[in-house]
Amino acid sequence: MFKHLLKLIWNKKKQNFLLISEILFSFMVIFAVFTFGIYCWDNYKQPMGMEYENVLAVNFTNPVKTTNADSLRLFYETVKRNLKSLPEVDEVSYASVNIPFSESTINNSMDINGKNIRQINEFSGEDSYPGVVNLKMAEGRWYNKQDGLPGTRNMVINRALKEKAFGDVPVVGKFLGDPAKPSERFKIIGVIENIKFNGDYQSPALAIYKRMDTAGYKWVSNMLIKVRPSADAAFESRLYKTLANSLNNANVEIEHLANKRISINKMTLVPMIILSIVAGFLIINVALGLFGVLWYNINKRRGEIGLRRALGATGNGVSSQIVWEAMILATFSMIIGSFFAVQFPLLNVFDLPAMVYIIALLASVLFIYALVLVCSLYPGRQAAAIYPAVALHEE
Amino acid sequence: MLRNYFKIAIAVLKRRKFFTFISLFGISFTLTILMVATAYIDKLVNDPYPDAKRDRSLYVNKLEQKMKDGRQSGPLSFYFLDHYAGSLKIPAKVAISSMSRATNTYVNNKKIVINYKYVNSDYWDVLEYDFVEGKPFSKQQIANGEHVTVISEDTKKEYFGETGSVVGKYIEADNVKYRINGVVKNVPVTAYQFFADIYLPYTVSKTDYKDKAYHGEYIAILLAKNEADVPAMRKEYEQMISKVPLPNKDITKMYSHANSYLVSYVNVGSEDTSGIAYVITAIGLFALLVMLLPTLNLVNINITRIMERSSEIGVRKAFGASSRTLVYQFIVENLILTLIGGLIGVLLTFIVIRVLNNAQLIDNLYLTINFTVLLYALAICVFFGLFSGVYPAWRMSKLNVVTALRQNN
Repeated sequence: MFKHLLKLIWNKKKQNFLLISEILFSFMVIFAVFTFGIYCWDNYKQPMGMEYENVLAVNFTNPVKTTNADSLRLFYETVKRNLKSLPEVDEVSYASVNIPFSESTINNSMDINGKNIRQINEFSGEDSYPGVVNLKMAEGRWYNKQDGLPGTRNMVINRALKEKAFGDVPVVGKFLGDPAKPSERFKIIGVIENIKFNGDYQSPALAIYKRMDTAGYKWVSNMLIKVRPSADAAFESRLYKTLANSLNNANVEIEHLANKRISINKMTLVPMIILSIVAGFLIINVALGLFGVLWYNINKRRGEIGLRRALGATGNGVSSQIVWEAMILATFSMIIGSFFAVQFPLLNVFDLPAMVYIIALLASVLFIYALVLVCSLYPGRQAAAIYPAVALHEE
Repeated sequence: MLRNYFKIAIAVLKRRKFFTFISLFGISFTLTILMVATAYIDKLVNDPYPDAKRDRSLYVNKLEQKMKDGRQSGPLSFYFLDHYAGSLKIPAKVAISSMSRATNTYVNNKKIVINYKYVNSDYWDVLEYDFVEGKPFSKQQIANGEHVTVISEDTKKEYFGETGSVVGKYIEADNVKYRINGVVKNVPVTAYQFFADIYLPYTVSKTDYKDKAYHGEYIAILLAKNEADVPAMRKEYEQMISKVPLPNKDITKMYSHANSYLVSYVNVGSEDTSGIAYVITAIGLFALLVMLLPTLNLVNINITRIMERSSEIGVRKAFGASSRTLVYQFIVENLILTLIGGLIGVLLTFIVIRVLNNAQLIDNLYLTINFTVLLYALAICVFFGLFSGVYPAWRMSKLNVVTALRQNN
């Protein structure tokens, strides 16, 4: 039977070629949307790795002119003590400019375990950092005072970097950096659970966490403050005054980490929504077109169908023939489409996990089959309703 | 002749309503998407408020310092722009302003986020802000370091509520009180080079504006006396940059350009990779993708329709119509169809834009359909009509008279 259907399709190859290319492009569009969607969903299911409720993010223009390490530290310690004297403040940590959900990034590359790994996010925080955002250690420990002693070269990394560089083995005590360059070599003292610092829908990127040092204090312009749930706008106004008075001559802005999370999520959601709406309309468009063309073909093939019925084909047989023809066309398109789609994981174009592509591919195949089925059912039923006597009489 | 084609086209459209609906749906929807996108881009890069003298302005918002193993790129310092760009001969005015930054203020225990921007006095001459009340602060006030400010309508509403004139009153921002000198109409945040809630004299900036580092947070607009001077002004700026001494020995080369608004607005990429080419490619790809599927669909439907009209074509051919006439007729018919679709698309665009403007997804961004956008729409329609008409018409002209006449169902 398939041989027969293939022959029928081959006989009208010109017209079918257009149909095939149309289904092919729809397939590619759907594949793109599904890949994006599944990637986001996959990330959304991962734990956040931190707490953002009741955390305030402060950024200020760096007010200190001195380069003396001791007076710098003294200045920032004083500011911190002033803040902690407020009853609603639980914990304070200075941080590098790339605080969670901030859109700023500091990237670096590093030689780890003999591999050159690129795109490593570099964060800096103080000993109190885990207390502020409640991050969890997967292994080892976070920094403490001893790590500030001269000559100590310790480093905390995240789970994603550990798995990329070393695989699933304990790594505390191992080293980061090129062994040939001792100045860039660090000992791993801890691994933290991944933090989705780019928002709910982005995958946790590779990261190292440094202890804030003198160079860090020189450029510092951000801090994170954990406050009690009772802290309200009146408190914030008091906090603002305290900050403005202690950071003399600085411009100060206070934001809520929870709000920053919402706005960075929009960076992923808005394109997703626009893409879905556009793709949705394109698909409706294609579905209507497909439906119209199939329907018209039935009317043109009344003679052929009448003859089939006269020779004993059942109504169901005829209608399933129409559906099968459409399905075979769709299969052709998707074989070609899959060839292109498979290149994405093979060439690793966007650095997404291969699993995402495979699920998206399967989902798109199912979606296109369902679409074609729906579009061909009604024309198929119409074909089944053709009376052989009437159809043949016309001829 | 054209009138006849028009009549035939309408008759054909009426015959198969379902196909007509599919064609019109595809065309009008595609056009709506492209037109909303065009209106948006047009708003971003062609909005005359507050930047009305764009024809004779050049924009400086980046300095790139190249080191042996890396580069540093960003806005410039006030000193650099004032000292070097300010000494150029051709520019009549040099407007210098800081990139806007946010701070908070608290009124009745309510938090207000305030974006502030430090400006010089030329800024008010180069840009034409609409003053709802009051006036800009003067050169003298800036020189004296007075705590004066110009605020936006939104800030006035948020800070003072619905009241009368606020000129002369005080607003507190960043723990400092400023006396209000004027209130200006809002600027959307997408015009990021001009957007701010409060504008302040650069002399009251908390960071040292006399600092001689080259990098900072300021950008500049160079205004020529007339349009003809713009290329010379660009050249003068380039020459000036090549003469600026390198700040230290790590830096091997420095780049900074006075660009047209569009190039400065895009402001991505670096000296080696052009940002504008990247953006145009991305927009082009998106437009192509959006148009490709409906076009294919239209071609498909057109072919179906032509086959349906084979007997008509057969008769006309038999009576001596040349293939060329038929192709011509069909393309004109198709253009009429796309133009009707385009008309519906324009109506839909009006509705979508009305909805978007009401939703205020971006504060103070009001999209409009203007002449430029309509012109683009027409171009898209014609492109659509030709593209989806040519192949079916060619197929039609190849029809054999005998077979065409025989199929009379």
